[in-house]
Amino acid sequence: MIALIGLVIGVVLGLLLHPDVPLWLQPYLPIAIVAALDAMFGGVRARLEGIFDEKVFVVSFLSNTVIAALIVFLGDELGVGSQLSTGVVVVLGIRIFSNAAGIRRKLFGA
Amino acid sequence: MSLLSDLFAGKLLDPGYAEAAARRAASGGTRRRGGRLSGAGVLAVLAAAGVLLAVAGVQVRRSEPVAAKERARLIDQIHARTGETDALQRRLDRLRADTGRERAGALERSAEGRRARRDLAAQAAAAAAEPAAGPGLVVTVDDAPAEGRGEDGGDSGGRVYDQDLQALVNGLWAAGATAIGINGRRLTPVTAIRTAGEAILVDYRPLTGPYEVTALGDPDRLHDAFTGSAADRRLRALQERYHMRYGTRRTSGARLPAAGALRLRYAAPAPGAGR
Repeated sequence: MIALIGLVIGVVLGLLLHPDVPLWLQPYLPIAIVAALDAMFGGVRARLEGIFDEKVFVVSFLSNTVIAALIVFLGDELGVGSQLSTGVVVVLGIRIFSNAAGIRRKLFGA
Repeated sequence: MSLLSDLFAGKLLDPGYAEAAARRAASGGTRRRGGRLSGAGVLAVLAAAGVLLAVAGVQVRRSEPVAAKERARLIDQIHARTGETDALQRRLDRLRADTGRERAGALERSAEGRRARRDLAAQAAAAAAEPAAGPGLVVTVDDAPAEGRGEDGGDSGGRVYDQDLQALVNGLWAAGATAIGINGRRLTPVTAIRTAGEAILVDYRPLTGPYEVTALGDPDRLHDAFTGSAADRRLRALQERYHMRYGTRRTSGARLPAAGALRLRYAAPAPGAGR
């Protein structure tokens, strides 16, 4: 419940405040979102398995987003930004899907 | 710890939670019971994720109108420039008509001038310098429909080439046409019909199919003279072999504009002439 409330508060805040994202930060936004999705799915799965831990969740969220953005930034500086972001998306996508499979097993027993 | 081997083994890809749970169990459950979503940290993190999502969504939607605006601006520019050239063309036509009238008035004054004027009119008609209208023959050719193209011809088998149009135009001249235009573009005796890439250029301007070649002249005589000519046979063969579109029809009132810029090749102003 508290998770849903947090998410709604965040979306409303984002829509109301209309923060202007500086141009240099814009390429990292989608990657950061994919990383955040990964952390959230991991949290949901842990919650369903009864091993949720707040500290792990917070740390994994922050480190995921920051590291994903950093990797893409580094790739941009080296001239392989698009390839590196593809790699990041692939790895995070695999993790998201495996977490989603875990959630599905817990919820539906299938 | 390889990603793929872990994935195939069905193991957790992120063992952080399991390790934390194991640590808790080892320390005798002194920490808060796991499995509950609680605390300000979770709230803050999810709020941050929500902000990220919302900002990204807003960003995407904001950049759409920018692209649309750019496109609209370009289209406006194209329209404005096209209007400018049209206005210039109209001005050119008006000035040409003016000079033509003044020349006619000047030549009218003497018998020699009247003869020169008749000469000039005949030359202008031959050089396609004046608009022409009258009955004529319209020949339509077009690329074969995509599914009807012959296998042996491949992709390029059913396309109209510049040589086809050249042969057609020459055939129509030979059949006695007095003026010819392709898709409303008047041909002079020296107008080039060429291919550049996949487009056919007439007078260095690209045309798209279907190509309507209008020849002015007595429709029946034109038709009789053209039927069976080399150009007619060539196009018929193309039609049978590649299913290219080819057809002729008579028209009672075709209009052809004057040809574009006429360049004087050999004439030069007489030294010391002019007012």
